[in-house]
Amino acid sequence: MPDNRSSDPMPAGSLYPNLIKVALRLLWRDWQGGELRLLFIALVMAVTSVTGIALFTDRLERALLLESANMLAADRIVSGRGELPEAVLAEGQSRGLRTAQTLSFTSMVFSDSGNLLVAAKAVTDSYPLRGEVIITEEAFTRGRPIVSGPPPGEVWLEARALPALDIEVGDSVFVGEVELTVSQIIITEPDRTGGSMMDNAGPRLMLNMADVAATNVVQLGSRVSYRYLFASDVMSDLDEFESWFRAQEEWRGRFYIRDVRDESQEVADALDRAESFLLLGSLFAVVLAGVAIALTAKRYSERHFDYVAILKTLGCTSFQISFIYLLVQLVLALFAVIVGWALGWLVHQGILQVLEAVMQIALPEPGLEPYVIGALTALICLLAFALPPLLALRETPPLRVLRKDMSQQKISDKLPYGFGLLGTVFLVYWYSQDLVLTSVLVSSVAGIALFLSVISYVFLRSGGSAGMKAGNAWKLAMTAARRRRSQNVLQVMVFSITIMSLLILTLLRTDLIDEWQAQLPEDTPNHFMMNITRNQIAGIQEFFDGNDIQSNAFYPLISARVTRINGDEPNPEGSLDEEDQGSLTESANLADVELSSEAGSALGPNVASEPAADSDEGRRVRGRLSRRQVTWAEDVPPDNLVTAGQWWGDNPEPGYVSVEQDYAQWLNLSLGDRLEFEINQQTVFAEVSSFRSVRWDNMQPNFFIIFSPGTIDHLGGTYLSTALMQNEQKMLLNDLIRLVPTMVVIEIDALIEQIQTIIAQVTSAIELISLLVLVCGALVMLACVNATLDERFHENAILRTLGAGRRLIMTSLLIEFATIGFLAGLIATIGAEASLFYLQQEVFEQDFSFHYWVWPLGPLIGMGVIGVLGFLSTKGVVQISPLSVLRRLI
Amino acid sequence: MIETRSLIKSVHTTEGLLTILKGIDLRITEGEVVAIVGASGSGKSTLLGLMAGLDGASSGDVLLGGQNFSAMDEEQRAMLRGQLVGFVFQSFQLLPSLTALENVMLPIELKGDSLAREKAQQLLSRVGLQERCHHYPNQLSGGEQQRVAIARAFATEAKILFADEPTGNLDTATGERVIELLFDLNREFSTTLVLVTHDERLAQRCDRIIKLVAGEIASDSDSSREEKVVA
Repeated sequence: MPDNRSSDPMPAGSLYPNLIKVALRLLWRDWQGGELRLLFIALVMAVTSVTGIALFTDRLERALLLESANMLAADRIVSGRGELPEAVLAEGQSRGLRTAQTLSFTSMVFSDSGNLLVAAKAVTDSYPLRGEVIITEEAFTRGRPIVSGPPPGEVWLEARALPALDIEVGDSVFVGEVELTVSQIIITEPDRTGGSMMDNAGPRLMLNMADVAATNVVQLGSRVSYRYLFASDVMSDLDEFESWFRAQEEWRGRFYIRDVRDESQEVADALDRAESFLLLGSLFAVVLAGVAIALTAKRYSERHFDYVAILKTLGCTSFQISFIYLLVQLVLALFAVIVGWALGWLVHQGILQVLEAVMQIALPEPGLEPYVIGALTALICLLAFALPPLLALRETPPLRVLRKDMSQQKISDKLPYGFGLLGTVFLVYWYSQDLVLTSVLVSSVAGIALFLSVISYVFLRSGGSAGMKAGNAWKLAMTAARRRRSQNVLQVMVFSITIMSLLILTLLRTDLIDEWQAQLPEDTPNHFMMNITRNQIAGIQEFFDGNDIQSNAFYPLISARVTRINGDEPNPEGSLDEEDQGSLTESANLADVELSSEAGSALGPNVASEPAADSDEGRRVRGRLSRRQVTWAEDVPPDNLVTAGQWWGDNPEPGYVSVEQDYAQWLNLSLGDRLEFEINQQTVFAEVSSFRSVRWDNMQPNFFIIFSPGTIDHLGGTYLSTALMQNEQKMLLNDLIRLVPTMVVIEIDALIEQIQTIIAQVTSAIELISLLVLVCGALVMLACVNATLDERFHENAILRTLGAGRRLIMTSLLIEFATIGFLAGLIATIGAEASLFYLQQEVFEQDFSFHYWVWPLGPLIGMGVIGVLGFLSTKGVVQISPLSVLRRLI
Repeated sequence: MIETRSLIKSVHTTEGLLTILKGIDLRITEGEVVAIVGASGSGKSTLLGLMAGLDGASSGDVLLGGQNFSAMDEEQRAMLRGQLVGFVFQSFQLLPSLTALENVMLPIELKGDSLAREKAQQLLSRVGLQERCHHYPNQLSGGEQQRVAIARAFATEAKILFADEPTGNLDTATGERVIELLFDLNREFSTTLVLVTHDERLAQRCDRIIKLVAGEIASDSDSSREEKVVA
């Protein structure tokens, strides 16, 4: 036997390499033994869901912004009354932005055999900055995209203008004083729907900006709409440019800058809500994965108490133990991040595959950010959820080698929750960047957790007495549930939070999609017809009926102004809601040319073209108190609800008026007030008989003020109606305009179609995110069931050695898990409804309503899922011999 | 080598304060082989744990190689254990996920020695397990596991070896062979050996027998020593 003492003195530098060796060996052996697998999977799930969702939202957001930018043909637009200051264009160019200009006006176009009012638009050579113009040489064929407007000397005309002018491609037309060749038929242009009112006032004619001067149509004082277009691939450049523009005091109220979010409220809302939803989804995914990590790490560390005790007896210091376990976790996390990245990429590819049908655009490549977010999430999850129980290992008393019952007491019980909560707060804030959302979400989850633990503690405590009478398996299950009370309370809590997260997402998803679908149903009218006289109505109705076009009621329109309320000057009070609607009046004043000055207000917010975000309060008030389109009607219009007072009955009497409720509030009106109106230079009196709520976003004619029949009928006015025309019926517009030449048609079909497409895309994305969170939820449940597996194996092995039959044990396991699941489902339902109450009202701006069907379903789902999952995970306890279980656990 | 002064260990139980050791004074010199015997609950494992620095005393001192454990925190105690102490346990306490060789290597590695593998292989040969180096504990018999544990105990050239019921989980014949090995190695390495046992025959082979009754030293075979008795 060699004398070991004579060997070389210990090389001090070898300690850390040796510790690394020990750590890697531990990692490898634990991996082989399967102990780290669930922790690894949980980490991978966290990285996968975050990376996948981040990759997808990153690309989707870029794509949607891009597609939305296509609706503007630019990233930012500057528009305003009259000619725009050159300085704006110069500033944009000096900042490296790409620029273009457009000029919209209405004009008569003449051919040899006809003339037509067109919505003309002159564009510079760089137009469009975003999106494509679709043109064709033959009417009603599939077009080809082109990233330019017509060259000088040529015009492009919309297909239906050709028969109206009796011309073909290649013929020429006169625009003002200049003769131009019709070289292409224009099918769509990117910003067709985002234009001003005059862009919708007839078929499109597009010409080159260079030809405008020669037409002599645009002169000083002409009503035209100028626009500067800006685009850049560097978002920050655009933002800085926008800030610069907004800082120019002298332009405030005259010139406006906007991006796509100002353009269409539906798209903006859909995007905002989808982002909130995706955000919430990834938050839930991460928190659930975090819980799974915490549970698996806790189990892992519990299984390592002995290991650490032995290491300590061998002289390992607490610091060295922390070093070893930290290294194990970091290496594990490293691999988890790599695998998670790969899976996350696959997940987002999967989402894209599913969305292929609705994605009409190529997605831009994602940035590196999603990967960084994924990796950081793994690290934070590890720090917050896994490290506390693992670091608690260092407190293991070495005496445990002699006395098994010794375990570390100092921090393992409470600290992990603190760390986990802290980690959750950090993650939620990091993703949402919203302090309010963070505090509300975290405090509600914490509150619910507390509530849950009290409730489930009480339930499990009282479960025994009822269970005693129900036979052996029931009794066994209930006593087992009570014995593991603290563990079970934790399980119920974890299951509840998991089911709650899934319920919240599912219910939100359903409500959001329902609401979107309800907002723009299939039969939403897509054409507005205005300036119709009373004796033209019958002919138009006949035309619609004859051509199978779905039409709606004709509303009389007349311009009115409130001059006195109960004999006094109106003294309005501003309120939040006023701003939007005020801008309508403003916008209509800005934009219209031939249309009556307030026509826009009757169309509801969606048709508004020029926002007046910068307009000052005084001007807004004057706008509201100035002329307003009013109507009279026998029946309450669709989507209007009488909120106070009474609608005139079957035999309406003249002299009454119904006022939109917010407008009424703004004017300080009460029921019974006597209003004095100025209509066509005549004074009309009416008594306020009801207030109404109006759904402004229903794409229907909506009115602030409606008179009872007979009050103002004799004062003249025109009529307004809407119709749904399918694509193939579009040509009939020419016949209709020929039939009623004075009528103005506003086409919003493209706008509606675009909104519906975007909403369909967002809907699919939401469905997939829900699915991903579902997988995370399943993982948490599995981890949670596994967390008590050792003890169950041990107990049931002892029971079996004492003669308990398999059937008894299996039944009792099923009952125990089903009970836990039922409780968790019930509590989750309560928690979900409570959270939705806040989320729907504050974050998603929806109306909250109870989801009655969830109340029985939640507990049943909990019972079914947890029961089956728990049963399947633990059925092994009766499948392997009790001896091997006992031997393993000694 | 080992000295305890007025060593008291009490624990809080549901029935109040329970004093396990009631003031133990003893001195064990270098190279001595000492058996601590006594009935279950007499406090012998507790005394072993305190002398080995696995636990802290309620009062009194434990000196190991002249250094007072009582004045140290757990980190310092761990370092001192790593330098001076080896263990053999009743339940072997091998790490199940490591092979026999890796189990023996572990304490050598923790000392920062880069020759861990070679030294461990030598020791495993010495205990007759060179063929079983790469077996995991669950692939070894009880006797073999205890031999691996003995190899591990001597791996760091510990000056003091504590053994807690080293034959408690073994049949008589295997237990005999393991004890032979333990004593042989002890002689070779001139280690101080303190073992706790129920086994009368094992105790008789030791230089000195200390009997504990209810937390006090009831008898000490080495009565010539002045320091030993506290009745």
